[in-house]
Amino acid sequence: MKKIALFCLLLVAFVYADKKAMLGSFDGFVERMGASAHELGRGNTGSADTAAQPGAYWNPALLSFKTQLAYNLHAEKRDLDRAGGSLGVEGRVGKRMGVGFAMLYRGDHSFDVVSDDDETLGNTSPYFTIMYLGFAYRVSRRDGIGVSFSMSYDNLNISEYYDDISLVDSYRSPVSFNLGWVRQWNKKWSTSVVIRNLSFSKNLSAVWTRNPSTDNSVISTEGVRPKVLQIGLGYRSMLFGKPISAWMEALDYQIADTLLAFDPDRHVWTGRVGFEYEVIPQGSVSIGMNDMNFSLGLGYQFNIRIGKKRWPFDVSYALLYESKANLWNPLSFAVRGWIP
Amino acid sequence: MLQKLRIVLFCFCSVFASESLVSNFTFAVARGPSTGTLWVLSRGDAGSGVTLVTLVPGESQVNVVSMQSDYFDQEKTAVHDGIFSDVTGETRRTPFIYTEKLGFVLPMFGLDSIDSFRNPEGIFSVKTSRVLETPLDEPLVEVDSAYSFPMAKSIGSFAYDTSTSVLWISRGILGLERYDVSASVIDPKTSYFMLNGENGSLDTLSRNVKIKASEHPPIYGLALHPETSMLWLGTEKGLYHQTAARSFKKIDALSDLRITGVWIGGSPVQVIVEASAREKSVTKSSLWRSWNGSDFKEVVFRDTLGKIQKNVYDKADYSVSNVAFIQNKAFLAVQTIEGSISGLLKLDSLGAIPWSYSRQWLYDVNAGVLNSNSILTSVAAIPLTDSIMGLAVSSYGSGISVSADSGLTWSHILNQAAVKGDLGSIRMVPSVIVAGGESLVAYKVGKPSKITIEVFSYDMRRVRTIVKGAPREKNAVRSSKATEDFWDGYDEHGRPCAMGIYYVRVKDNHGHVGWGKVMTLGGNKK
Repeated sequence: MKKIALFCLLLVAFVYADKKAMLGSFDGFVERMGASAHELGRGNTGSADTAAQPGAYWNPALLSFKTQLAYNLHAEKRDLDRAGGSLGVEGRVGKRMGVGFAMLYRGDHSFDVVSDDDETLGNTSPYFTIMYLGFAYRVSRRDGIGVSFSMSYDNLNISEYYDDISLVDSYRSPVSFNLGWVRQWNKKWSTSVVIRNLSFSKNLSAVWTRNPSTDNSVISTEGVRPKVLQIGLGYRSMLFGKPISAWMEALDYQIADTLLAFDPDRHVWTGRVGFEYEVIPQGSVSIGMNDMNFSLGLGYQFNIRIGKKRWPFDVSYALLYESKANLWNPLSFAVRGWIP
Repeated sequence: MLQKLRIVLFCFCSVFASESLVSNFTFAVARGPSTGTLWVLSRGDAGSGVTLVTLVPGESQVNVVSMQSDYFDQEKTAVHDGIFSDVTGETRRTPFIYTEKLGFVLPMFGLDSIDSFRNPEGIFSVKTSRVLETPLDEPLVEVDSAYSFPMAKSIGSFAYDTSTSVLWISRGILGLERYDVSASVIDPKTSYFMLNGENGSLDTLSRNVKIKASEHPPIYGLALHPETSMLWLGTEKGLYHQTAARSFKKIDALSDLRITGVWIGGSPVQVIVEASAREKSVTKSSLWRSWNGSDFKEVVFRDTLGKIQKNVYDKADYSVSNVAFIQNKAFLAVQTIEGSISGLLKLDSLGAIPWSYSRQWLYDVNAGVLNSNSILTSVAAIPLTDSIMGLAVSSYGSGISVSADSGLTWSHILNQAAVKGDLGSIRMVPSVIVAGGESLVAYKVGKPSKITIEVFSYDMRRVRTIVKGAPREKNAVRSSKATEDFWDGYDEHGRPCAMGIYYVRVKDNHGHVGWGKVMTLGGNKK
């Protein structure tokens, strides 16, 4: 437990580190915000949990531990008209392989387009998505490795309001890939390493140019999605005869279009930590912290018998407090199920 | 020349009742039909048109009593598309004049072959409630190939002789057009003249004649001397002034200059002349003045310490949009190509009056002339009352500003959508920008407050603090300070934020919090 406490302190130190690099300026917020209310309730931790869904997003290596065809659906509404969600399907292929798909969605369902002339031209709903297709291989009884390919599609939905400029609404990124490894050391401990947002460019960076207009009337922009090194740790135990688990992740975002940058100003370090406890049979409570966002989660598992088969379900709820902006977000729900 | 006149009457009674400017993108202001009124020309996203504004000076500011707007036909405008991008002075302004018989007179441009408003077609005039669209037929003449493009024949300036009811119009390579409304406004008599550059005679333009610019220099600037009623002509080859009915004399001191603008007024009378020419891909401009009948001298620029500064105006690509005279002062609206720098230049008997050390001579948003950092497009003197001669400026995006004290303090008049008090709603204007643009954070506080404005990414990470604890006064409409309360699409360290939607939080020191939204399309690093 001393090691865990030390790790937590390090995470907090990372959080408070005053670095020049600012993550919010850079591409990739859909990915950073995570998927599913279950994981959100415990601080958006999931990369070291073989039960986390969607595996193609959290850590493609998790797919190698899947035993059944599973699906998950997540929807949330955050303050300031922000809506989000995710969808995932995953399953086992053969004895050692897993495959999964995930799609993450974020949008704003009420954005006023105001002209230079202070006229409201209309109201629109920009949205941003990222899709993952993951493959995993079970290297040993304890280890799995995986790779997922991802691509984003954004739609700003504003071009109809600008007659004099040929604005482009939709943007698609080139394919990038994520590498993952997970090890279930024993019944208690698990660890993971995920490297995100690698691409096929010279520096293995996910870089692309976006041209907002077809007539070049708007300056083009180059997007860099930070490479991410994500290290996860999981610990499972029993408390008062009930399962309890602790999850931690350290993330290093490299804000540079270079293979490796050693300048600390070009890195943003953040941490995530979460705890989950089964307070009633099949019912759990979780708390977590992602960067400086705090969350509380509730979950319940149940079965529905249809014919001769029992269909397991897991419903989750999360309450999120975004502390830097002082926003409470009480509407995050997810359901996941397994097909018998 | 027989003028085929087509009058199109537009009567938009419902539109005319609107209590707002046609647009905040204004290009000209002129005195209105009565004391305390002024005309405003706008061209915005919704179209082009004019607004008659009735004003009354109050104790601390000039108040709007009413506004009445009318739109031009969508296929026509008074502001051509090269107004900011053209490189020499004669087409970098919107000429206008107010006359009692015709009202507010403006040039009329139609679409050319590439759907650009660069085709001079005639004039607009509006007296009270109807815009008259009057095509001006082009004389059947040949011109030098270098002047065969449509804008070489555009209207450069107007001058109106009240005693004869004749409107003089400079038409570039076509010379001078005489537009005589003494008999009828509906059926004017028009004729064209060209200036003989050698002997100064004004020759009638005959049908099928070939105009050679070397012999008959294009006429760009035009003004009527208020005391002598004689015309002054700014031409491709110097400045001319009228000496007899059809005779002009060249001003020797300016004989080598390409004169693109002439303005005369004030007491004592000043003649202000703009020279603007393109040499080796560079625009060279200079500003000359004759004070009270004296010889022409280049305008002197002194700094705040009284020391003469050289190469201030002539080393930049400035052009003059218009000049207003109030007693012994002249107020010049000037701007560089593309409007990167613009402002009001004030001249007294000694020269340009400085106001600060950093941007010494141009009065702009920092001097309170404009409401935001926009291009100042024109200026005019308007009688606000029988005893107060006001000053009004137009701007590209900030509506108009009016001063009742010769430019010391200004009232800003523009269309502003309402926002709720106590930070009840935050409006980002515009709400879509690129890095380097400006989105004004518009809010309202009910009492003096200390305001903090921060920008957050979608995942609520703070990317920029715009102001922190900045004092802001209460305001009936908006309390924003346009020179500070805007986001330019960059983060705290000058990096352009990634394309996407961002959230702007405004907090005051009274516990109120409001949020606005803005989208950036990205851009390049500063």
